[in-house]
Amino acid sequence: MSTQTAQELELAKLLVNALDLEDIAAEDINPEAPLFDPSHADSLGLDSIDALEISLAVAKHYKVQLKADDENNKAIFFSLRSLSDYINSQRG
Amino acid sequence: MSSPTPTDLVALSDNTLLPLLYPYRPQAVLLVNNQRTITQADFLRDLARVAEILPDAAYAFNVCEDRYYFLLAFCALLLKNSANLLPPGRQRATLAQIAADYPGSYCLSDSEIEGDIPCINIRTLFSEADAAGTRAAQEPLVPAIPAGQLAAIAFTSGSTGKPSANRKHWGTLAGTARLLAARFTRHLTNPTLVATVPSQHMYGLEMTVMMALQGECSLQGDKPFYPADIQQVLQATPAPILLVSTPVHLRALVSSGLTMTPVAGVVSATAPLDRALAVATEQCFATRLREIYGCTEAGSMATRASTQTDAWQLLEGFTLAESEQGVIARAPHLADAALLQDQLHLHDPQSFSLLGRNADMINVAGKRASLADLSLKLLAIEGVRDGVFFLPERDAANQRPAALVVSDLPEKHILQQLALQMDAAFLPRPLRKVAQLPRNETGKLTYAALQTLWNQIHD
Repeated sequence: MSTQTAQELELAKLLVNALDLEDIAAEDINPEAPLFDPSHADSLGLDSIDALEISLAVAKHYKVQLKADDENNKAIFFSLRSLSDYINSQRG
Repeated sequence: MSSPTPTDLVALSDNTLLPLLYPYRPQAVLLVNNQRTITQADFLRDLARVAEILPDAAYAFNVCEDRYYFLLAFCALLLKNSANLLPPGRQRATLAQIAADYPGSYCLSDSEIEGDIPCINIRTLFSEADAAGTRAAQEPLVPAIPAGQLAAIAFTSGSTGKPSANRKHWGTLAGTARLLAARFTRHLTNPTLVATVPSQHMYGLEMTVMMALQGECSLQGDKPFYPADIQQVLQATPAPILLVSTPVHLRALVSSGLTMTPVAGVVSATAPLDRALAVATEQCFATRLREIYGCTEAGSMATRASTQTDAWQLLEGFTLAESEQGVIARAPHLADAALLQDQLHLHDPQSFSLLGRNADMINVAGKRASLADLSLKLLAIEGVRDGVFFLPERDAANQRPAALVVSDLPEKHILQQLALQMDAAFLPRPLRKVAQLPRNETGKLTYAALQTLWNQIHD
């Protein structure tokens, strides 16, 4: 597993907290594993309800509004890393 | 509140022909999406070209995600007298399980579908039809469908391990839409529906697709998801707007802190809204909120103005009767009487309160599943010696099931196996391994025993 950056760890903590993932330690989330594909060994197995929760937490914490009409939405939400990169790019 | 006129009301027993679009107003806008504005006449031209090239079959899966493609597929299948199979999810195993009971069926989709069922991509089909056909200049005639024709089979997770089939006749769907229109939209001039719900679940089908066909509504073709998307779509849509949503989305919208365009009304269904969220929703959108009560068998049955009352008002024509098995609902547009799963208290012939829900059925953001069925899927995994899904008593906002399992397999492996067979919404949060389940002497698991074990694990 590739190691998390400090920003990724901050986002991982936000996700674990927002989604009540009581089984998962933020440090243990593989930053490159898919967040939503439950058939993948390291995936968090999230679904659309979680995506909505994530959007609220991200808006509150980073002041970044996520949008589904963005063509890259699937790419943005693919992994902890891609989501973190996107948030960084939007914060300017 | 306007009542339906006699011509609006549909009695299934007559098996009369009901026009696909009612009332037919060729130049009225049926659907707007980010590419085009589609009038009723445009739609009928598109529809004729798609229907022409579809194969003959008694049944076909309609798993289109785009609203316009779903609408086209839905109506093209109606014209071909093929019933729309509406599965609870698009998982390969789910589709295969249903297809086994409907031999000769194929799948109509707007994206690539994995699996062994013959699949037609309506996007490709549509562009081929576009290239081949020339647009007829004259105004198309509106087709009519017999009220008694089987239009769709909606599948829900049953308690037997197999999805259970709910047959929906064209007259039933048309009847429900006309009754809902009488409650929600007939007093509005050219209302547009903006919906956060998918088209293929019963609520979405009734409140989006069918309202566009039978309820004098235009449809916003996008499915805005995040609060910022919904804010943007509402800003871009001409008034009056009716927002069709669910408690999960309304909670997110209200807590997003974003300023929302005022709308003419908000409709919510799939799970009861608590009073505080209902009040906050009305403030957020400067409007009235109405909820729909329904069940898979009977469809939408009743509505209420949630900030004013707890009592549900039946839609016109519905009657309720108490029986030993529970409350039975009847209406002229339904093929059969429906035995309701919920416990109701009947106030008078037109209204009732909800007392309790069936303990086996869970509802995660509008997706329904039977705990017994989920448990069967868990037990079917090789290496699982015993296991159960249940809904622990915890935070009311958390309606996700948990699972207790007796097995030497790692949790991750069990979760992966479950993911192949069920919607991610039902994956247990969490799945906990235990030495044994608290079965009583007859082998039964009581809710109380499960909750006690659950509390011990969490102390």
